[in-house]
Amino acid sequence: MNPDMSVDELLNPRIHIVCGKGGVGKTTVSAALALVAARHGRKVCVVEVDRKGSLPKLFGAKSPSYEPSELSPGVWGLNVLQEDALAEYLNVQYHMQRISRVLTSSHFVDYITIAAPGLKDILVLGKIWYLEQDRSADGKHYDFDTIIVDAPAAGHMIAFLSAPMGLSDAVQVGPIRRQSDWLVEMLQDTARTVAHVVAMAEEMPVAETIATSEALHDRLHIAQGAAFVNGLYPKIVGASAERAVEDDSEARDGLIRAGALVNLTLDDGDLDALADYARFLSSRRKIQARHLRALRKGIDQPILNLPFLFSSGIALPEIEMLADDIEQQALEL
Amino acid sequence: MNPIAEITGHKEIIVCAGAGGVGKTTTAAAIAVRAAAEGKKTAVVTIDPARRLASSLGLKELSNEPTLVSKRKFAAAGLDLKGELHALMLDTKSTFDEVVLRYAPTEQQARRIIANRFYRNISGTLSGTQEYMAMEKLYELHAGGAYDLIVIDTPPTRNALDFLDAPRRLTDFLESRVLRWFLLPYVKAGGGFMRFANVAAVAFLRVVKRIVGGSVLDDTAEFFANLDGMYDGFKARARDVAALLQSEAASFVVITSPAEESVLEATYFASRLNEAHLAFGALVVNRVHPRFGDGSGATPRQQARLASGDEAARRLAQLLDNEASFMRIVRLEDKNLKALARKVPRHRWVHVPYLEREAVDLDGLAVIAAHLFA
Repeated sequence: MNPDMSVDELLNPRIHIVCGKGGVGKTTVSAALALVAARHGRKVCVVEVDRKGSLPKLFGAKSPSYEPSELSPGVWGLNVLQEDALAEYLNVQYHMQRISRVLTSSHFVDYITIAAPGLKDILVLGKIWYLEQDRSADGKHYDFDTIIVDAPAAGHMIAFLSAPMGLSDAVQVGPIRRQSDWLVEMLQDTARTVAHVVAMAEEMPVAETIATSEALHDRLHIAQGAAFVNGLYPKIVGASAERAVEDDSEARDGLIRAGALVNLTLDDGDLDALADYARFLSSRRKIQARHLRALRKGIDQPILNLPFLFSSGIALPEIEMLADDIEQQALEL
Repeated sequence: MNPIAEITGHKEIIVCAGAGGVGKTTTAAAIAVRAAAEGKKTAVVTIDPARRLASSLGLKELSNEPTLVSKRKFAAAGLDLKGELHALMLDTKSTFDEVVLRYAPTEQQARRIIANRFYRNISGTLSGTQEYMAMEKLYELHAGGAYDLIVIDTPPTRNALDFLDAPRRLTDFLESRVLRWFLLPYVKAGGGFMRFANVAAVAFLRVVKRIVGGSVLDDTAEFFANLDGMYDGFKARARDVAALLQSEAASFVVITSPAEESVLEATYFASRLNEAHLAFGALVVNRVHPRFGDGSGATPRQQARLASGDEAARRLAQLLDNEASFMRIVRLEDKNLKALARKVPRHRWVHVPYLEREAVDLDGLAVIAAHLFA
């Protein structure tokens, strides 16, 4: 049996949409998922939608542009700003570059947003469709095996994905309406698209993740992938070590003696600090475990646990660690 | 003196701002609970559509109009209530409708605008509208004079500028010269293509018509026609709102976690407040990891020897390993907060540590308040 069977399953469709509320670590998960795919020989493109472009920073690469650039071996990235997608659409479809200065002015973009809510979302999804069709709007050729979409934050995410489905007040006429049908086909085809959710083990993020997951399934009919839970405190301290720093003086003496054997002098203050950290970790773990249980009850998809990173910021080494965790847990799915 | 206690004592308006997910709504609620308990007639306004504020105050739901939190609920949480606490949740759309009703010359004209599809889309899609309406609601509550103190949280903006510039952004949009250049000919021609308009505008209108359909253009034309004559009212009100926020009555509380991203946002926000002549009242640093002892720890060599020792040694290795993990976070948070201290003086800071319980009810809010007012 192929040992990577379940990693392949996780990476199965080409388009992966990573959803979640702001601040839960969607970009980190997108980057880690991209590394997993790249490790398995896939050429990956991570699409950031209308954001500051924090993804390239994780890879130590330059800021992204509207066309894909290679961030690290096998991992490409691009940042699709709604304004750029709109300008490209008007240029390609209507040859309107002559007045493009006006078209990209913020008031005009605001106008189009109000006049046709959902249009910009449709154009951004259109860019993803082009990537999937292995070409760009101006005829360039792409060949990505995996496309990971770092979706807009939860508030906007449902509107973003539902824009082509005509569920909202979106564009109801013209060529865009027809083009939207291709996007709906792309999003709702389980062989082409899957949506993952990202959460943290806290009350609000869990509640919102359950709501997002329901909306993706019931309203948008997009196949559900995994749920990634970020920032889980790891179990560093075993139960016996935890007990040893409680009020048991014999056990405390044991720790002091063990320290002395390696020339480590521990006084009561040191032991109290060790006890306090152990207690803090275990109480946070209990809170997180409670929220994880609520998440497990509220959603159907498999849950992948990602650790709280006790490190000085998040860069490539940390993303590699998260990718290890994802690979390992995918094997157990 | 504690800066939160100071502004709660002297100000009439407290605006809570900061990046998403740092605890703005909870902080606003905790300040309001304490102020009400101490005798102020207080209103807390949330922008957050989640039901968290309602449920933490023991209410089923909140609306655009104030709901009173009963004395009984305070008593059940062991709190003595000397004042009153009212809670509201901003409804952007109805607040906008109220604004239109106020400035339209006739009610009929206001109704025409409110029924217009282009108008209906504005409140849901034009960024900055929610922020503007929050400030509008704040102004209205303050002008009503019913409250000693109004505490409001702000939307999770991607960018602090969105919130500070919102009123101008909306009025600028409604008055946009670019839009008028394109749309006015259409408006004047009563929806038909015009003879005197410039060539570019005609080309533009054709494209827009193909993309969004002619009916949307008709809606736009009707909207702008009906809006004529209301700009001055809008602008005057936007000026009044700005003046209120800049006045002695108002103070801003910036909320941050010790994580780098939210510290950067808080630093930026504090400097923007200064530029905009808005009073910076306090900085709330939320969810700082605890620090215990002096964190001297063990050398890697000692650690390795402990890890391969007997059971007591292995236990000690785990505990030291755990402490070392926290020390890395503590050092990182220290570094981030030091950078913040260079921009915001420490005597304006208030710390709320990572608590063992979450603030899901009045008790929990009171615990947070105890830290905020410590």
